[in-house]
Amino acid sequence: MKVEPPAGDPARRRGPFWGGVEDPERSLLWLAMNTSKRGITLDVARPRGRALFLDLAARADVVLESDPPGAMEARGLGWDVLAARNPRLVLCSLTPFGRRGPHAERRGSDLTVVAASGNLFCTGDPDRAPVRCSLPVSHYHGGIEAAVGVAFALLARERSGRGQHVDVALQEAMVMPNVGTAAMAKMTGFRGQRTGAAIRLGESVGREIWPCKDGFVTFALRGGPARVPGLVAMVAYMHEHGMASAELRARDWTAHNANLLTQAETDALQREFGAFFATKTMAELYEAACARNLMLAPTYTAREIARSAQLAAREFFVEVETPGGGRLRYPGAFARGSSPIGIRRPAPRLGEHTAEVLGEVGVDAAALASLRAEGIV
Amino acid sequence: MTALFAGTTLLELGGGAAGPVATRYFADHGATVIRVESRRRPDFLRILRMTPTTKGGVDGSEHFAVLNANKLSVALDLSKPEGVGVARRLALWADAVAENFAPGAMAKWGLDYASLVKARPDLVMISTCLNGQTGPERHYPGFGGQGSALAGFNHLTGWPDREPVGPYGTITDSLSPRFAALLLASALLHRARTGEGQHIDLSQVEAGIVCLTESMLAWTANGEVLGRMGNRSRHAAPHGVFRAADRDGRERWIAIAVHDDADWARLVDALGRPAWATAPALATAAGRLAAVDAIETALEAWTRARDAEATAALLQAAGVDAAPVADLGDLHDDPQLAHRRHFRPVEHPVLGRHPVETHAIRFSDMEPEIARPAPRLGEHTEHVLRDLYGMDGEEFARLSAAGVFA
Repeated sequence: MKVEPPAGDPARRRGPFWGGVEDPERSLLWLAMNTSKRGITLDVARPRGRALFLDLAARADVVLESDPPGAMEARGLGWDVLAARNPRLVLCSLTPFGRRGPHAERRGSDLTVVAASGNLFCTGDPDRAPVRCSLPVSHYHGGIEAAVGVAFALLARERSGRGQHVDVALQEAMVMPNVGTAAMAKMTGFRGQRTGAAIRLGESVGREIWPCKDGFVTFALRGGPARVPGLVAMVAYMHEHGMASAELRARDWTAHNANLLTQAETDALQREFGAFFATKTMAELYEAACARNLMLAPTYTAREIARSAQLAAREFFVEVETPGGGRLRYPGAFARGSSPIGIRRPAPRLGEHTAEVLGEVGVDAAALASLRAEGIV
Repeated sequence: MTALFAGTTLLELGGGAAGPVATRYFADHGATVIRVESRRRPDFLRILRMTPTTKGGVDGSEHFAVLNANKLSVALDLSKPEGVGVARRLALWADAVAENFAPGAMAKWGLDYASLVKARPDLVMISTCLNGQTGPERHYPGFGGQGSALAGFNHLTGWPDREPVGPYGTITDSLSPRFAALLLASALLHRARTGEGQHIDLSQVEAGIVCLTESMLAWTANGEVLGRMGNRSRHAAPHGVFRAADRDGRERWIAIAVHDDADWARLVDALGRPAWATAPALATAAGRLAAVDAIETALEAWTRARDAEATAALLQAAGVDAAPVADLGDLHDDPQLAHRRHFRPVEHPVLGRHPVETHAIRFSDMEPEIARPAPRLGEHTEHVLRDLYGMDGEEFARLSAAGVFA
């Protein structure tokens, strides 16, 4: 259940809007992030609103909040108050830097927490500033991290009977996406390097993303048992099109160790592969990759994702009937299990379930009318 | 308080990051996580940067070491039927099984869910791979770099006038372990409440696309393909990363994000109200977005001569969202990460003392703990099979002599 201020969640005012119509019910960000929830409005900063929030929290398993540290306490809704009212409650606080510590009070957003995580420094071209993903990945990382924390706290509650306060920091959540290299820096001295569409191998820098006829594909000339069969198959594929030189065909890929190549050797190898990719489309190359076990993937945009045969076969996309009328096609379940996972209802309209939800904590029609009159809901 | 997962055993098959990072959440809260590995085909992180001179060979990989602390390693040669037999007994004995092989590998060994569940109806098992366990492209053998491309992250990362660069660290390798940990914890909770086990099929690409739902809706609702914007925002300016003064011969940068008109007013004050910034046209987001090139140039002229940390502190004191851009080394000096003890030391038999990361969650009643370094390959074969599982000595000796523990 989403609790919004009476003016609505700020995400509702964020474009792009569905059909370009600026309307709090048509923000694609709002619609993307709030499916499967009921929605109420409540001004928790005012006494009657705060009291109702406490009534709701008394019946809840979990409260998730992402206000700055101290904001809930300032409203009289801190952990001590909530836990006193409902000892089984799990409260999860999601903040840029964590609830305590020297930077806890700092402002943070996707750009600045990714900056503080080491991940930004390593992303981008060497001749330009570090660059982020144009959508806020720290929110996804941090949101799922919070869900893990809540699940662990619920498991602990099975045993102890008590809830607890879970404190998740976006900055810290974004360190792990460096996939171990942050901790390794202390051992290797490697502080990160922007290498564009490439990664650092041992002695050289090798391409990861390559231009092709109609876009880009991901492919790497790295070795190892998992990759060698794909390299051999790729050369065979190129040879079928008359685009593998005798030297390339004669190369012993089982002995290929990208860590030992000089930049000149890496460049020479890459020239041939690059010339071949330039003659093929993303679809042609990916079809070959699936058929021949090549470790190559197209750099999909939303357009190609929406057309994916794999996703269609798994019935990944779902049509959601929105309360405003009209259907929207959504990415569906993030995983499959025997327990149902997936979208259960559309994102709520502003205040759509206020009467229903407050009714569950004993607010009758007359009380609701007075709450509305006071602007609390 | 006893650790949350004390007494819980997870069996892990597979390698790289997507599976192994997921089980670390449990290991850091007391679970016994047992990796099934083989010298015949070591985890690729054990050999990714290995050269003939690497000290310790497959046990000397820094990359493996930082991701696999707190686990035990059992060496089993799965090309031998006896090796598969032992793996099967461990899978049926463990509380849950996590695997991230390409689809079909587990079935080839008879270690897939359908085979195991017959002997253990309440089995909890998660299988994670790039494209999922079903569908025409299920056998596609990619790593995280390919997942990042297929899910749409590569396309969205970089500059609009250049080719995509992709996010550092292959994002599906770091998003999917979180999903996997969430799913495993949820399945354990479900089993604790209902007695029912289940098999979870986590497609790393699908989970990544769910995160990018906003971008998918822009296409399905509006026919718009969102693209790379560098560090800019559609809604606000300035929103970027600016060069600061070099320090110790290293280039330094500062990220500054102005989210609304009030932020801008605070930034202008912090800058000392220079003439270029006080132009009335810049008082609104629309005005600033129209003049974003000029604003970024002027702002960088200001940051370029200044220390990144001092500038961020100055701006934060003025209420402006700003942070120095940390490199991987800087993280070890970050006071906030130090406060949360993100990095924790272990003593590794080959690598010596080195830091390991824990997750980003702190609980009021439980504390993550790193109790041991990453295992050497097969380090705990005897301990796990004899002491934990209870295999008799005679059988252990026979299998050992037959080369099963390789």
